[in-house]
Amino acid sequence: MYEYLIAVFAYIFIYIILVVSLNLAFGFTGLVNLGHMAFFGVGAYASALLTLHGIPWYIALPASGLIAGSFGAVIAAITVRLKGDYFQIVALGLAFIAIAVSRNWISLTRGALGLPGIPDIIKNNFYYMLFLFAVALLSVVFLYWLTNSETGKIFQAIRDDETAAAVLGKNTYLYKVLSITISTFFAGIAGSLFAHYISFIDPTIFDLEFFVIILAMLIVGGLASISGSILGVTVISLLLSAISFVFTNISPELIGAMRQMLLMLILLLILIYRPRGMFGKVDV
Amino acid sequence: MPLLDILPQLIVNGLIAGSIYALAASGFSLIYYVVKFQYFSHGAIMSIGAYLFFTFMNLMGLNYILAGILTVIGCVIATLLSNWLLYLPLRKRKATPAIILIASIVLLIFSSSLMLAFFGSSTKAISLAKHNKTFDFGIFTITLVQTAIIVSALILFLFLWIILKKTKLGKSMRALADNKDVAQVVGINPEKIYNYTFIIAAVLGAFGGILLGLEQNLYPRMGVPIIIKGFISSVVGGLGSVPGSIIGGLFIGLAENVGVLYLPTGYKDVISFSVLLLFLLFRPQGILGVKMRNV
Repeated sequence: MYEYLIAVFAYIFIYIILVVSLNLAFGFTGLVNLGHMAFFGVGAYASALLTLHGIPWYIALPASGLIAGSFGAVIAAITVRLKGDYFQIVALGLAFIAIAVSRNWISLTRGALGLPGIPDIIKNNFYYMLFLFAVALLSVVFLYWLTNSETGKIFQAIRDDETAAAVLGKNTYLYKVLSITISTFFAGIAGSLFAHYISFIDPTIFDLEFFVIILAMLIVGGLASISGSILGVTVISLLLSAISFVFTNISPELIGAMRQMLLMLILLLILIYRPRGMFGKVDV
Repeated sequence: MPLLDILPQLIVNGLIAGSIYALAASGFSLIYYVVKFQYFSHGAIMSIGAYLFFTFMNLMGLNYILAGILTVIGCVIATLLSNWLLYLPLRKRKATPAIILIASIVLLIFSSSLMLAFFGSSTKAISLAKHNKTFDFGIFTITLVQTAIIVSALILFLFLWIILKKTKLGKSMRALADNKDVAQVVGINPEKIYNYTFIIAAVLGAFGGILLGLEQNLYPRMGVPIIIKGFISSVVGGLGSVPGSIIGGLFIGLAENVGVLYLPTGYKDVISFSVLLLFLLFRPQGILGVKMRNV
């Protein structure tokens, strides 16, 4: 029970970083990045490969953030200039391309077999959870400061009315690239922390099934609200763990299906009836 | 054996896969063209089609024509329900296309867990063995079922073309796609036309699902990979163009299979995703050159 609770909270802290970073692009800047998990996965694979090749974690962790962030910067630089659906389509296409690369670049990723034996950052799970708490706290404080700064105000102005922001002399293109870069940097950090926690990653990390859980946390919490994201992650994580606890006599396969159905149903109801989620500042 | 000797067989295999991709892509593209969002739950309808056909054929022992009719009816009902319960309320509250896209992905994942809960994770096969035989043309072989896949896809595309180009309904759909406000002024009721559009997409999805189920095994999340291929085909063909999506589907099917000449078979996905990447970077308007819509 004690170990289980530690695991639940370890995941909560990792997902907080991931969801708050998605909120920066999606909620605060209005960039619907459906490829966010690709950057999480890139961070996880980068950190796993670096540490498996003997590089210490304190280099691999920031490096995976930088690698994911540079990918994000390049993709954003190419795509956000174009109007319409283009960014959204490329972001989603990118997530699918990441699946194909991780499955088929066998010499690097071992394909569907995945990468086992990723070294721990801290052996003791309790202390690792505290470490995750510290990193999550730092990320949240930084993103809170950012979204309340001048830059954050411009992000939100772009979301609300890009033409008006441009008329006021803001280079909206650069601000959008900046938002995606910071957002994907933190996705990479979260991916790295995740890989070192579960010590095994495979291409399912890029699956839509995983991404919709993250989306549920974001949208239930509410767009453009950091406290909403934190609450969204906590509520959904506790709900999902509670289901596994209550129905111990049902096969794990069926529980998985039930959990997923329930979560998707909640998400659809929120999308239709309560587009601001719990604490959102804007409608989804 | 020289590699080129197997080329005719690879082209036939490419057409079989491509027909199914084109069915996934045409439904996706039709909704994108008329209702203006990326319709990922078309994959859910295809998997429901495959599982319904399996239920009627193998579990209830109906003949394939009756099973096919019931499957189409089932898919139409499921599609209309998804429109009335999900997409219509979202349109009413003026949700952006991105949000409707997210809802359609959520519905896709919902349906795959529903299939898992109903049918379990083990793979199923629709057995048509007693109807099947193989034709040997020397340079390639093809089974009766595979011939049926290509022929029925072609018939469906012909019908789709006739509806879009030659009927009043098609005219209304095109008017709505071009400019919703003007269409409403001339007396077109958008919601009515949307319903018909969803019904047409449901028929494409039902047949797409049945044909997919004949060509491969059934498993709960089968709707996810096929609609990803449908998405890729639509982007490659030109997003928002129904004929483009059919060309894109055949192109991706052929590229994956003919690519086997140069790459191991495990690289089929790499081929289609590389094609997607090249198109996204260098020709986002797709083969048919459809201009990106400004939404």
